[in-house]
Amino acid sequence: MFKQITELNGDENYLIFSLLMFIVFFVIVGIMLIRMKKDYAQHMSQMPLEDDEDATKINTENQ
Amino acid sequence: MQIEKFSYDNKIVRNFGVATIVWGIIGMTVGLLAAIQLFWPFMNFETQYTTFGRIRPIHTNGVIFAFVGNAIFMSIYYSMQRLLKARMFSDLLSKVHFWGWQAVIVASVITLALGFTSSHEYAEMEWPIDIAIVIIWVVFGINMFGTIIKRRERHMYVAIWFYIATFVTIAVLYIVNSFQLPVSGWKSYYIYAGVQDALVQWWYGHNAVAFFLTTPFLGMMYYFLPKMANRPVYSYKLSILHFWSLIFIYIWAGPHHLLYTALPEWVQNLGVVFSIMLIAPSWGGMINGLLTLRGAWDKVRSEPMLKFMVVALTCYGMATFEGPMLSLKKVNAIAHFTDWIVAHVHIGALGWNGFMIFGILYWLIPRIYNTELYSKKLSGVHFWLGTLGILFYAIPLYWAAVVQGLMWKEFTPEGTLKYGNFLTTVLQILPMYMMRAIGGALYLSGVILMAFNLTKTMKRGSLVANEYAEAMPLEPIVKKEAGWHRRLERKPTLFMILALIAILIGGMVEMMPTFMISSNVPTITSVKPYTPLELQGRDIYIREGCMGCHTQMVRPFRSETARYGEYSKAGEYVYDHPYLWGSKRTGPDLQRVGQKYPNKWHFDHMLDPTITSPGSIMPAYPWLITQELDYSSTPGKIRAMQTLGVPYPEGFADVSIEDAYKQADQIVADLKTNQVETSREKEIIAVIAYLQRLGTDIKVSTNMNSNEKQGEQ
Repeated sequence: MFKQITELNGDENYLIFSLLMFIVFFVIVGIMLIRMKKDYAQHMSQMPLEDDEDATKINTENQ
Repeated sequence: MQIEKFSYDNKIVRNFGVATIVWGIIGMTVGLLAAIQLFWPFMNFETQYTTFGRIRPIHTNGVIFAFVGNAIFMSIYYSMQRLLKARMFSDLLSKVHFWGWQAVIVASVITLALGFTSSHEYAEMEWPIDIAIVIIWVVFGINMFGTIIKRRERHMYVAIWFYIATFVTIAVLYIVNSFQLPVSGWKSYYIYAGVQDALVQWWYGHNAVAFFLTTPFLGMMYYFLPKMANRPVYSYKLSILHFWSLIFIYIWAGPHHLLYTALPEWVQNLGVVFSIMLIAPSWGGMINGLLTLRGAWDKVRSEPMLKFMVVALTCYGMATFEGPMLSLKKVNAIAHFTDWIVAHVHIGALGWNGFMIFGILYWLIPRIYNTELYSKKLSGVHFWLGTLGILFYAIPLYWAAVVQGLMWKEFTPEGTLKYGNFLTTVLQILPMYMMRAIGGALYLSGVILMAFNLTKTMKRGSLVANEYAEAMPLEPIVKKEAGWHRRLERKPTLFMILALIAILIGGMVEMMPTFMISSNVPTITSVKPYTPLELQGRDIYIREGCMGCHTQMVRPFRSETARYGEYSKAGEYVYDHPYLWGSKRTGPDLQRVGQKYPNKWHFDHMLDPTITSPGSIMPAYPWLITQELDYSSTPGKIRAMQTLGVPYPEGFADVSIEDAYKQADQIVADLKTNQVETSREKEIIAVIAYLQRLGTDIKVSTNMNSNEKQGEQ
């Protein structure tokens, strides 16, 4: 099944270059995530829920 | 700092919402008609404006850009204002965006029905509309970035990044894919030819799926799903990881649409590897969505809108697993050009896009109308109609695809094709086509039910056009924040540039060598440019959308060379502006059809396909026989081709009309000897000229070689 990938007859340079680039990219994102503070991630993930209460409150006040 | 009072613009959200529903019904109705035409050819109505080849692009573009497009804008305008705690940048731009987009859609429907098409799938609109689309898209971009700049929330939530990535990438894709040389008001030629054109088209086509049908929807999921379930997203870190991986990897996978074709081998393999890698970030998104519902499954039981979301995510998971599987060469060899691909995209369109849109509409419309949904029960009925519709749509098509794909490849013990007549394999799957149409009808009836339900909901409440809110303005930043990504999330422009770089890398690595290194497309000396008449015929072939059902790409399999002839080579397409390889074989491949049948056969076949092929489901094209060919456009077309590098002799454009007449007269004379009276002014003559030329250049060289060899002996 993977013959198409293992037998490239010299064209594997493109592949290795591309995969290397992705790995570098992935590692950078990974480091960023490891350094990210937990409370910050928590704060960010609450964002869609925050506006809800305020907005509905104000909306009813205005009516 | 004082708290600022402002309001959210709900009217624009409502407008896009209504447009979503209206265009959804129209786009799906056209799709249903196209599905019915496949087993009842009389439903083509024998007029050119309603024939399958012309309405197929209306259906695909209508669903993608009109239905899904309006839904994207509705969701972005709603969620972005709230996530950034700011009203949209400019009400005027919002209005221009809304009405401009609707105008583009109406213009597209009209021009596509009239046969003005560029032939590139999902970008069929001709150049004036392309320009309008780009302008409206830029208006949307200005409005979006304007809002981001005047935001009252320092950090951009993950949904916003998906929106930014969508905006940037679609702009790049659409512009690069639309480099055309206008010939007249509604006709243009792509500047790329053959293999390069194919690579650009599928780089675009694949990534339009990624950045129009996937990234905005992941953004929508990250906003609306937590809202509906009233709990935060399962893992914010996972959302960052899968965002960057997704936009980086997706762009590389386009060549998997061109496996076993004349595309250079290494590009195909690169496409396959990245397609398989793509499972990871796609499933990252699906898992993050489904796990957001952890502990809220009791709500799923009682809330139809959450049911829609769950099925949408499941379909996303299925489609993104199936995609990489289809890109494995062994699977692709059977599945490509069959209805498997049609089923696959509809799992995405009906399940992932459609169901998420319905879920969001059921949640959003009552909110902006400050009321409750008219009938939860009806929305539950809609859910089941839709789900059944998807199953009835997809399962028969998978079945049809496997049956037909295997029939194409079956040999008798004597070594000949078991089903040498292509039509036999088509007639075999007609019952499946009928069931598919039933599935489509079920799905559409659900949408009509939703339209009724939401209209009632709107009547019950009243639109809160301006929803008041208040928030603290942004304070200037005094101290540096720790963490790269935190800083990145404050800088939208930098963020956009990084996203742009991430998406450009893949395209560059794949396309640059194919464009720059000439050895990647070996030339064939016997391949010559089309004659003026053939060029006119080719343009009619494009106008009628023949490439929607017929490929021009014989893959290097025994089953295909036995059926069609010599397999296709990259060098054969060097003068094809645009390439016409096609992506689906509802009818047989036409790459080697030239000189296979007499001229009269083609004449009869166009008049009524069942004369030559009893039981054929191909529409009749009687207007080709009555309509007059516009010879006067020939010199302009030849000059355009010369500009694009096609080596016609100097001054050939000036004699091109005479040349076309000469060739036309020969065909007319040949038809006359076969009791067909017609004149050189008719379009059919050009079509016959083109079809008789197809794939013959390579035969010329084999004949010459064999002659030479005989001479030597």
